[in-house]
Amino acid sequence: MGLLSLLIFLPLVATALILLLPNRMQSNYKYIALGFTVIQFALAGWLYVQFDNSASGINQISGFQYLEQLPWIRLDLGSLGQLEIDYFLGVDGVSMPLLVLSAFVMLMAIGASWNITKSTKGYFSLLMLLNMAVMGIFCALDFFLFYIFYEVMLLPLYFLIGIWGGANREYAAIKFFIYTLFGSVFMLLIIVGLYFSVVNPDTGAHTFNMLHMMNPNNYVDGSFFAYLNNYYEVLGIPARMLGFIVLFVAFAIKVPIVPLHTWLPDAHVEAPTPVSIILAGILLKIGGYGIIRVCYSIFPDAAVDANWWLGLIGVISILYGALNALAQKDLKRLIAYSSVSHMGFVLLGVASLTAEGISGALFQMLSHGFLSAALFFLVGVIYDRVHDRYIYNFRGLASHMPAYTGFVAVAFFASLGLPGFSAFIGEAFVIIGTFNAESVGTGIPRWMAIAGSIGILLSAAYLLWTLQRMFFGQTRFKGGEAWASALTDINTRERIILFPTLALALVLGIMPSLVFDKMNATVLNLVSLVSQYL
Amino acid sequence: MQDINVQLPNLLDQVIQSIPYFKAELALIFAFLGSILATLFVDKWWKHGSFVITLTGIIISFILSTQQLGAPQNGFFGMLIVDNFSVYARGILLLALLLCVVFIQQHFRNKKFSKNLGDIYSILLTAGLGLNILTMTSNWLLAFIAIETVSISSYILVGFFSENKKQAEASMKYVLFGSVSAAVMLYGLSLLYGFTGNLDFTSFEHIQGLIEAPKILLSLALLFMFSGIGFKLSFVPFHVWAPDVYEGAPTPVTAFLSTVPKIGALVLLARLFEEWTSSSFYFSELVLVLVSVAAIVTMLVGNLVALRQTNIKRMMAYSSIGHTGFLLMALIANLASEPQVLLFYIAVYTIMNLAVFGLIDVLEQKTGSAQLESYQGLGRQFPILFTVFTLLGISLVGLPPTAGFIGKLFVFSSVFDLFQFNNNKYYLILLIVGALTSVISLFYYFKIPLFAFLRKGEEVKVAYSKSAQLVYIISILLGISTLVLGIFPSILLSLFK
Repeated sequence: MGLLSLLIFLPLVATALILLLPNRMQSNYKYIALGFTVIQFALAGWLYVQFDNSASGINQISGFQYLEQLPWIRLDLGSLGQLEIDYFLGVDGVSMPLLVLSAFVMLMAIGASWNITKSTKGYFSLLMLLNMAVMGIFCALDFFLFYIFYEVMLLPLYFLIGIWGGANREYAAIKFFIYTLFGSVFMLLIIVGLYFSVVNPDTGAHTFNMLHMMNPNNYVDGSFFAYLNNYYEVLGIPARMLGFIVLFVAFAIKVPIVPLHTWLPDAHVEAPTPVSIILAGILLKIGGYGIIRVCYSIFPDAAVDANWWLGLIGVISILYGALNALAQKDLKRLIAYSSVSHMGFVLLGVASLTAEGISGALFQMLSHGFLSAALFFLVGVIYDRVHDRYIYNFRGLASHMPAYTGFVAVAFFASLGLPGFSAFIGEAFVIIGTFNAESVGTGIPRWMAIAGSIGILLSAAYLLWTLQRMFFGQTRFKGGEAWASALTDINTRERIILFPTLALALVLGIMPSLVFDKMNATVLNLVSLVSQYL
Repeated sequence: MQDINVQLPNLLDQVIQSIPYFKAELALIFAFLGSILATLFVDKWWKHGSFVITLTGIIISFILSTQQLGAPQNGFFGMLIVDNFSVYARGILLLALLLCVVFIQQHFRNKKFSKNLGDIYSILLTAGLGLNILTMTSNWLLAFIAIETVSISSYILVGFFSENKKQAEASMKYVLFGSVSAAVMLYGLSLLYGFTGNLDFTSFEHIQGLIEAPKILLSLALLFMFSGIGFKLSFVPFHVWAPDVYEGAPTPVTAFLSTVPKIGALVLLARLFEEWTSSSFYFSELVLVLVSVAAIVTMLVGNLVALRQTNIKRMMAYSSIGHTGFLLMALIANLASEPQVLLFYIAVYTIMNLAVFGLIDVLEQKTGSAQLESYQGLGRQFPILFTVFTLLGISLVGLPPTAGFIGKLFVFSSVFDLFQFNNNKYYLILLIVGALTSVISLFYYFKIPLFAFLRKGEEVKVAYSKSAQLVYIISILLGISTLVLGIFPSILLSLFK
């Protein structure tokens, strides 16, 4: 059993343990979850430190590390050929940082669920199941395996939102499920198509191996997704372009992009704080990761053609998300829309197809991962105390909860891209990359970079305005004295969770090389893989 | 006639020689007779007499039919085909029948029931006999007799239990619809016989005759013929009887009706379909279009109507109509691959459906209701049951890591292979509709966990009914097996080699 398997299936052990322990040990479930996640985080951190920076990943098996490959399903299906499904894991510079991020955000989420009392058994076992699925997604290199983890992830989330969520939780849970499933069933069709188009050069059998799918030489001539002699068209769209679009839509729903984002505000508002943290911190990243790992790497030729549109979608998401955030009166909804805006940068950066842009996009994913988690956690702090998060119901929190205000201010400044914090690095690199794209000739015009920077400006506007509305001025609460006494300043547990998160934002803002070094070789490889089709 | 007289000794010889090929069915026939006798004479002293005889008969039939594996033979002048396909199909069929018998026995164990339960076992055996024959023939006459045997048994099954007006109405509808469609089918068959002069649909004369037949009349004959099979399979537009009957019948009978007869009808259709679509003539295209359109419409209608149901049995009725559409798609997929894919899907469908109805039955006995609303908040009270129920829902939608997903993946793969091979737009529409309807189906299957886990309800007082225990255990095991088969599909697939 390899290290990655251990990383993936540790949470499953925790789930089993939680399910087996009798109900009277209820209060211990959170310690089990915490213990396993700490081990997982330590393991992920160790893997990160040991990770060889020169590994180029993406389409070369030699570029992946901690590889594990076991035959899983081998079946002779007659005329369908030999079915070849592997249990195939490995990480490269794209997935390694995301693995650490996931483990970190998971820890935050468990910290945030410390006060959950409603059927803790179900809660923590589902949380651990989700943890397993997420880790699996980032490690899987076999498309079939990837798909399985991708779908398994939906179930615990449905129940986590649906059972522990707010008033409108049923609607939010099913909406989230349906949106993602809608994307993924069509993804399944594309996976099947790819399966029939690609052969494993070693065995001659059709394969689900993603790395084989990235090599044009492995495509059968004249098959549905073939590079050569491919005359397939559906509704006038060439087959490879169609494959790219369908996969892109599937992942774009996760990112989410405008106009496929409408599940996100609902899901966030209804979800309990820890689930919001996971949603924003990890799940949105799966969308971005999928676009890089699957869409761009398997369909680079189509990606190049669709580039301009992707950049445009990114810009629209940035601006639309930011403008929407300006209009929100619910603090959680505001942060949800700010996520849409910030994730737009990821798409814009990837679409720029420059090394700076893609590195910036990946960095932005990480930075947004823990910053949005911190923001949702901060919303959770006041929501836990007074069960309200309507912006105009609070005023002058600064004098009432000074430490809390301090953390909020740092998180807000970090998120709006103040130099010195990680979000600045991410957004700046994306904009630099986009700006340079025109001179490299990747088809992304300069005005998109300018539009992106307007997005940064808008994010400053909505975050600072919120700071002003809620925290400054005369202390006044809608709930009067009752609220005033309920709104105690943040406690030690909350500090323990928030401090490392914000410190990380600062550390990465000052020393981005901690991450850039790990992903650089991989990013360059991706750029060279795609840019040959320019 | 003269020829036959001359060859009579020869014919008799052949018939006698063919009897061993029929031994699995003979076991069912003897069990049928045995269980009738037992109902009359033994059950007074030993109330399980007919039940035990029925079980033994089915098990012996299963063992005998498995012995025919790997030795393809033709008996009764080619009317009876004993090949591996039919052996596997009968295997699934008989095991499903066995479970249905157990479900029925358990269902009525603690109930006051004025009629004699033993009769039902014998009826189930005749249904099994008909279905067995359906899987092993390519002769229209035998197929018609088999279909009628199954139909008449099903009418009795539904009508036998009717206690109130609604159930009587359901059985009446069933009989009327059934007889009309049988008559129509017979008329279609007579036309086919007129065109071809041969009743074996795989024979050269039959195909030749179809090629030469006038197009309009042929289309009519095919439509008639399909309406008969369509009734059995309950695909749209021949589905209207199904929801009423499924809702009206006792749950174990519904479990039987929604699963077992479909296996037989599908195997017959698979044989027909494979033989008839291989040529490039008018009737081949017509058959392909008919089946594709039926599959598409059935998937859409079944799943969309299921959305609005509030009774779980009625919802499952529409769900099974939707699944029929998907089974038709599996049938089309069968063109591209070995029968493995079709058999796998049939087996998985059978497991899922029987388990779901088993759980519905258990819940019905505990709460006394089959309304979805009555499940409100029950998740806390029966965590294991509803977890498995949810798992089955996931499998029915076709999500990993369950067997339903693997089945769906194989079907999609095969149809995609066909599409890549000849670029027929029907295949593409099938794929898209198949994918789309699985999203739609999520809405209603997830009403179960929605009510059970997401909504709060009052604690129900459970009359501890011991009778539900065995059904409960079987259903849970079946539910877990969908998970196991989802992760290791090779266990089942390597069986169907």
